[in-house]
Amino acid sequence: MKDRSKKYMNPYLAGFLLGVVLLAAFYFTGEGLGASGAMKRVDIAVVNTVAPEHAQNSSFYSKYIADGESPLRNRLVFMVIGVFFGGLLSGILAGRLKWKVEHSPKISSKTRLIMAGIGGVLFGVGAQFGRGCTSGAALSGMASLSTAGFLAMLTIFGTGYLFAFFFRKFWI
Amino acid sequence: MKEEIIVSGRANPNIDPVLNIWHWHIPAYLFLGGLAAGLLFFSALYFLQGKDNKYFTAVKVAPVIAPIAISLGLVFLILDLKHKLFFWQLLTTVRLESPMSWGAWTLTIVTPLSIIWVATYLKEIMPDADFKNKLLKKISAWFIVLKPDQTRPNWDWRYGWLRNFEQFSQKRRVGLAWALLVLAVILGVYTGILLSAFNARPLWNTSILGPLFLVSGLSTGAATIMLMTRDHEERKMFSKIDLLLIGIELFLIIHLFMGFLASTQVQIEAAQLFLGGEYTVPFWGFVVVLGLIFPAVMEILELRGFKVPVIIPAGLILIGGLIFRFIMVEAGQVTRYLY
Repeated sequence: MKDRSKKYMNPYLAGFLLGVVLLAAFYFTGEGLGASGAMKRVDIAVVNTVAPEHAQNSSFYSKYIADGESPLRNRLVFMVIGVFFGGLLSGILAGRLKWKVEHSPKISSKTRLIMAGIGGVLFGVGAQFGRGCTSGAALSGMASLSTAGFLAMLTIFGTGYLFAFFFRKFWI
Repeated sequence: MKEEIIVSGRANPNIDPVLNIWHWHIPAYLFLGGLAAGLLFFSALYFLQGKDNKYFTAVKVAPVIAPIAISLGLVFLILDLKHKLFFWQLLTTVRLESPMSWGAWTLTIVTPLSIIWVATYLKEIMPDADFKNKLLKKISAWFIVLKPDQTRPNWDWRYGWLRNFEQFSQKRRVGLAWALLVLAVILGVYTGILLSAFNARPLWNTSILGPLFLVSGLSTGAATIMLMTRDHEERKMFSKIDLLLIGIELFLIIHLFMGFLASTQVQIEAAQLFLGGEYTVPFWGFVVVLGLIFPAVMEILELRGFKVPVIIPAGLILIGGLIFRFIMVEAGQVTRYLY
């Protein structure tokens, strides 16, 4: 294994910077960060295009399309676009921009992609039940000292820790 | 009680004429025309500078796309017409005061010239014409025959007059290149002037659109060459050219808005569409930041020695150029003089 310390930022520094980003988000927009919100809005936009009637009748979708504006016209969508291009820039600066699937040598790329996909879907559904994901509920919630934020953080990482043992074959 | 006195029927829907008749065809065509202009410009320019082997892709390979892009664009233009079978009537008249007439004539001359220009290099860039694809084989058999021996190129023109015409054109490449150089600039400017000739559309009615569309077309052309070339030096050169073009484009965009804001109320309102209005996010986010500034940063990083896959900056520039034309055509049709 090559020297990774130079390729990746010090995690403590990165965590601190993430906090600064969160603070900036509160300062400029009055709200925290959120990643699943963008995905949710893409989903809503797709449903609204394919089956507008269903979207209008559903109590979940209709909230986001009631004002007639596109559900994609939201700061979270642009935040995620920014995350994508910022990640790209960071990859270039660190010299590790390559087309590859990161996975352990014991599983194939296909397994990794399928399992990550299923995990992502489950997490997306869970984030809707929990009213937010790691960034939206846990990170932004804890930053505003909300009890729900702390609970979200504990349950997300706690359950992850508990269940990791059973699903480790999909990952390592 | 809130009283409402209706003093005019203007508030009724569709009383004021609504002109939104240009849909996707026009911006798509403007993009393809600008791209073709860029490719032909660089090809002719570097040929005339005697760098046809140094910048092999730019001079000989990339212009292959130009006639394809123009033809596709012309198909879009005809699809846009209400009376499609009357398109040829543009070529029955010359009107120097009409940009559409300029465009029709420029395209009529540029299209065959670009095909001839590409054909004079065909033996160099395609030495092997033994296609596996059946359709390609059939179509190519109309023009060429495969040679029985193993020399390269392994094909020749099917008819003697094609061979003679190739030699005739190859001897006149300098003249061809000059013609293409000038016509490419006209084609590039015309894609913008086509819009700015509409004096009823405040957003379009500015002479900056001509140079702006030309520079944007050249930039998409340079990006395409960057994508196609395998030569590191050539890519670096076009990366630098592209950086310069992006700089000019940003300068022109700033001047576009300065001009609007210093002008009459309708122009100010047209600019407001982009400065807080409906088109603010798509324009500044997707055209200026993701289509110009971000690829420029990546190109600077690459010139500094960082490894950047060329598809990212070049692809962003191409997509940005396309979105730019869509936004300009869409937003232009929203702006008007009526109150």
